[in-house]
Amino acid sequence: MAIISLMGIGEGMQQAITGELSSLSDTIVLSSGEITANAFGGGGFEHADGEEYLTERDISDIQRINGVKDISTVLFSYGIVTFNGKSNSVSLVGIDENNMESIFGIGVLGLEKGEFIKEGKQNTCVIGYNVAYEYFDTDIRLGNRIDLNGRSFAVVGIYKKQGAGMSTETDDNIHITPRDFEKITGQSKSSSAIIRIYDVTKADSIADEIEQAVNENHGTDDFANAITMSSIIESIQQILSIVQVVLLSIASIALVVASIGIMNTMLTSVMERTREIGIMKAIGATNKDVLLIFIMEGVLISIIGGAIGIALGVLGSRGLSTVLTGSFGGGGLTPVITSYSIMLGLAVALIVGMLSSLYPARKAAKMSPIEAVRYE
Amino acid sequence: MKDDIIVTKDLSKTYFLGKIKVPALKPTSISIKRGDYIAIVGPSGSGKSTFMNLLGCLDPPTTGNLLIEGTDVSKLNENQLARIRREKIGFIFQKYNLIPTLNARDNIALAMSFSGKKLKMRIDRAENLLDLVGLSNRMNHKPSELSGGEQQRVAIARALSNEPKIILADEPTGNVDTKAGDKIMSILEDINSKGETIIVVTHDPDIAKRASRNLHIHDGEVTEADY
Repeated sequence: MAIISLMGIGEGMQQAITGELSSLSDTIVLSSGEITANAFGGGGFEHADGEEYLTERDISDIQRINGVKDISTVLFSYGIVTFNGKSNSVSLVGIDENNMESIFGIGVLGLEKGEFIKEGKQNTCVIGYNVAYEYFDTDIRLGNRIDLNGRSFAVVGIYKKQGAGMSTETDDNIHITPRDFEKITGQSKSSSAIIRIYDVTKADSIADEIEQAVNENHGTDDFANAITMSSIIESIQQILSIVQVVLLSIASIALVVASIGIMNTMLTSVMERTREIGIMKAIGATNKDVLLIFIMEGVLISIIGGAIGIALGVLGSRGLSTVLTGSFGGGGLTPVITSYSIMLGLAVALIVGMLSSLYPARKAAKMSPIEAVRYE
Repeated sequence: MKDDIIVTKDLSKTYFLGKIKVPALKPTSISIKRGDYIAIVGPSGSGKSTFMNLLGCLDPPTTGNLLIEGTDVSKLNENQLARIRREKIGFIFQKYNLIPTLNARDNIALAMSFSGKKLKMRIDRAENLLDLVGLSNRMNHKPSELSGGEQQRVAIARALSNEPKIILADEPTGNVDTKAGDKIMSILEDINSKGETIIVVTHDPDIAKRASRNLHIHDGEVTEADY
């Protein structure tokens, strides 16, 4: 039971997290010029040269690359945000409202409050956590109006706190539509784009192709920089497998306890049935016969136990994850019970049953028939 | 002339109580013929059971040889002894020694399972044997639901199940009343009349008298006795 539920939860955790990540990993971030991994980052961005924007031709070339699902350009600029008469400098990000949700709405990102910008809706914005709670003396709330470069916007959503480190950091950003972005900054050209692809496993090769195509258009080697999320995912998956190993070690401790339990049960059974064993030997059972009878019994006990354990494990991991997600919040962690883990559970039960009944069975087999028959 | 089914040559058994030697059976040389009906008589503690365990291949002798149908069993290992017990010897114990969790029929069928017979055959034969001992109506009863005499008759059926050459009965009537004891003995005698070798350990002179040959044991010494 312990094995099944821990494996279920472990597997569920891995799938939940990689599931959330893989929706990220089908994106390639393309940036031009010196901008590197921090292309999305709040504030670290500076664009020196006006010639380094992506062109229409770049976009259409990228769209033609095999495996590319869609591409949306991302606009960056600094802006001034004013709220309650106070002003602050802020990073403005212009991004298509449809892509905003598919890129920032998932997993560890996502909104704390409110919603993303609705299609075609003007003068609305989604603001980062720090913008909402740190920048001004009074917190910005949903529905408040803030001025961006002098134009009034309604706050429709606030991002969750991201902290540093993620390349899609949103804490100090304000997200608006490209149309609004152009209106308040006058800038319509973008130096970055988010490209989504069909097959995550091809991310790296597609990223190379994109770089090549864009570089050709601009006649240099190092104009474009396409970054995939796969390296981040790999390291996270590595951490997850460590966590799973830990969960399995806990399960194996439970296993040792269980096998001692089986051994004890079988030893008691051997003691209780000393007479029976003696009779069987007297009427012609060989040591092997007795050994087999007791091993079969141990295996039977452990298989029945294993089957009940699997059933309880399935229910238990469901219950546990419901309770845990209920109390810790966060996205639902659905335990994943694979047929592999059920098979493993049964196999382990079988082996444990066999091994832990081996000693009692040998003890039974070694019993001398006369002593056993005499035993009262 | 009937052949010797059991031959002992200086067969002895010595137990050790700490460092004290206890000669449970002094060197004994006897031969038992096929189809004999033998009673081993002696007071308790005389070595009857020791002799019985040796003849039944339950216990290895300290010295000497034991030949069963010409095979020297004194040098065999445990598994070979188990096969001899299964194929040549049927045991009947004073306390019946049926498996309490199995019904009468299955107790008999279990004994046959060690010789690898098919289940259907085992069940059929178990039912025939129960019929032979007059218990076909008690087939599905557990030992606890049977009287002592009935349990002993199931034990006889079980002893016969593997078609042994020798039936060893250790005080078969010791725990039942006279009437049931009589029934048990007449079943055994009936089997003997069909050519089976029967060896009965008893301290009841009436039962001993019914046998064709008596062996007395006193202080581990076996002597021929006549009435």
